Amino acid sequence: MARERSWRAQKVVERLEQKVNRQVLLSLAACVHCGMCTEQCHYVLANPDDPTYAPAYKADKLRKLFKAHIDWTGRAFPWWVGARSVYTDEELEDLKDTVFGKCTNCRRCSYNCPMGVDMATFNRLARGLLVHVGIMPEGVATVAKDQWEIGNQMGVLKEDYLETIEWMQEELQDEFDDPGIEIPIDKKGAEVVYTINPREAKYDPRTIAEAAAIFHFAGENWTMVSEGWDMTNFGLFNGDDELGGACARRVYDAARAIGAKRIVISECGHGYRSTRCEGPNWSKTDLPDIEMESSIITMLRYIKEGRIQVDKSKNSIPVTYHDSCNMARSCGMTEEPRELLRLVCSDFREMYPNRQQNFCCTGGGGAMSMAEYAPRRLKSAKIKAEQLRATGAKIVITSCHNCVDGLTDLIKHYQLDMEVKQLVDMVYNALVVPKPAPKVEVPVAVAPAEIPAKALAGYKILVIDDEPDVRTYLRVIFKDKGAEVLEAPDANQGWRQIRDQKPDLVTLDLVMPHKTGEKLYWELRKDERYKDLPIVIITGYGKTDKPTVRFHEFIAEKGIPEPNAFLEKPIDPDKVIATAIQVLSAGIPTDRVH
Amino acid sequence: MYETSPLLHFAEDTLQIAALSFMAIVYALKIRWILKFPAAKERQKPTAPPGRDGRKGALYSLAAIAMPWAMASYRERPLRYIQFAVFHLAVAASILMSFLIPYAPETIASPAAVGLLQAIFAAGILMGLMRLWRRLADPHVRAISTPDDYFSLALLIVWLGASIAAAPNAREVSETPLLVYFFLTAFFLVYVPFSKISHYIYYPFSRYYLGKTLGRRGAYPLADPAAMLKPES
Repeated sequence: MARERSWRAQKVVERLEQKVNRQVLLSLAACVHCGMCTEQCHYVLANPDDPTYAPAYKADKLRKLFKAHIDWTGRAFPWWVGARSVYTDEELEDLKDTVFGKCTNCRRCSYNCPMGVDMATFNRLARGLLVHVGIMPEGVATVAKDQWEIGNQMGVLKEDYLETIEWMQEELQDEFDDPGIEIPIDKKGAEVVYTINPREAKYDPRTIAEAAAIFHFAGENWTMVSEGWDMTNFGLFNGDDELGGACARRVYDAARAIGAKRIVISECGHGYRSTRCEGPNWSKTDLPDIEMESSIITMLRYIKEGRIQVDKSKNSIPVTYHDSCNMARSCGMTEEPRELLRLVCSDFREMYPNRQQNFCCTGGGGAMSMAEYAPRRLKSAKIKAEQLRATGAKIVITSCHNCVDGLTDLIKHYQLDMEVKQLVDMVYNALVVPKPAPKVEVPVAVAPAEIPAKALAGYKILVIDDEPDVRTYLRVIFKDKGAEVLEAPDANQGWRQIRDQKPDLVTLDLVMPHKTGEKLYWELRKDERYKDLPIVIITGYGKTDKPTVRFHEFIAEKGIPEPNAFLEKPIDPDKVIATAIQVLSAGIPTDRVH
Repeated sequence: MYETSPLLHFAEDTLQIAALSFMAIVYALKIRWILKFPAAKERQKPTAPPGRDGRKGALYSLAAIAMPWAMASYRERPLRYIQFAVFHLAVAASILMSFLIPYAPETIASPAAVGLLQAIFAAGILMGLMRLWRRLADPHVRAISTPDDYFSLALLIVWLGASIAAAPNAREVSETPLLVYFFLTAFFLVYVPFSKISHYIYYPFSRYYLGKTLGRRGAYPLADPAAMLKPES
């Protein structure tokens, strides 16, 4: 007589048959029980005498079910191949204890399995089967509910979120004594939408402020959003593809509503994986026009492009880097964080093993939300503690909020003399904050209203700017005051005009293709013939923007004098004329001053 | 001149063809069964840096078994890799021998060839016994072992033993070793598709899919596996 199944057990069996795809089938069928995965799991290393922690043993819990219902041999000869179905809720509870409480889905065993069995993938599937019938740790249920209902996994209310953003904006403005620093919300047309982990809004808002400062000083056209800002995704942890799809879609829809070209994902391992890699699959969404990247890549790009300057001597305490499982093993991001760290820290020490072979922080796979398994988790963290201790570092950097919590917990538990930080903390700390651009005082004596009609008659002025409209505009206003105007669309042609035409004054744009204005400026100031040539820099963007900031850094670094004047676009014609007169008056023999 | 008995002729020819045909049919059905399950598609744009993609990842993954240095599991326990390699080499040699004896006996007729084969089989048996011992003695492996795991391993060890006896192909002295070998081979061929020994059918698929996914995301190929595990001394 067939054994009766509980309603839940029956549902689990039915759903298993629906959910097994080819990849899962192969992973379930291919295991040869060689046991090579055993010592690759941090749970086993902390519990060497308990075989129930071995990856293959844990995997067999689902594999037995698969064999009993899907596999050929298992259905014909169940005893022979270890096939076993589930019948009671107690058995499902036992499965829950394994798939939630004894595995963080870190995927280290998969990398070291000769057969390429992807255990993390079907462990997630097993979690999903249980969640479908309401069997899961309480914390997992709570977090998933918050993410479904409130739109973020920590249940942060919209008002609180917006208030936190505003608070961080005020902090930044105070810190830099600059009321112009903003954390924009729902700014239409922004190029970049910055998405965060709710943990940042709830417990660690400083990282939001730090990222905002980096965006600001990089001159990025960015925004945060009031809805769809949570890039984390508990669907990855509880195996619920529907939740995974809903969370991902929220983020994509928010970026589309803004018209953004890029979603920047703050440092969060599972958030990055869910949003960038798994989200389009779960949500069945194609995003041809939107790029997605980790904030690690963004910060690295800003430094490489010279949009922000950093001084790594500001981070001289020894640091090490912990690779998040989702970043390294599931998304292959291992080199970029190291490249960034080497740019912003002066004493970086590698941890072993590292990259794809690193051990889990023990807080992954949603483990931090499962309080009942905390003692087991902390015990399994022994190997991680040993890894950390061996580096001799005082700070462990990680790019994942789960890792931050997991590592913080184990550092306390194992009494390590370390603290945990993220890359954004280090980049922010290393930032060389630009000085405000100096202003040229327009003398009262030549106030715009008093400028004579042909005040620049007899002067030859060269306009070097790659934008034709700007050249035309400057030509018109200088000509109107009687000057002879020469034009050059780039630095090289400008250099030739200076040499051949010997202008009395040069206006120089900084941002130009090929050779930049700052390069030309440096070359001119180095050249004995032109070191005193009056030059007025006229460049675009705001007061803390990249070209001006970079230019002042540049001339300070090269030890060359400041330009005769510095004006910003948009061009104020009266100011330009007044400045030209002032500069020419100062540097030209008195008989030529009008 | 010695004339092979009808029984041995049947065992080394007709029976082998029948068993191989049966195995091939079952394998074909098995592959059809695998392909019936839809493969999960990757919808997202490739996220791998330049130089890495799904194809490279898949190739790397398929070659992983020949790169013991790339897996911590083997790197930390090289003896297990030696066990794996020698055991599988011996099995492959015996499969090859099951074709050579009936159809090209002269290729392995020299004493040197026979000696080499017997040495490989003996090494295979030794490795097989070590694997069996581990399966019995290591609580982690014992806990996951099924009757099929023990039986498959024992079957191969016995079959390799029979291979040692059959390797000289001395049918004029006695046909018994050859009969035992060929009947065991036939049983082996029929049993394999239903046992864990058929893992080599899954291997290309499972490694291909894992490698393709990890390659598309830039995690495969591993840049420098050795450097990940230990600092340079």
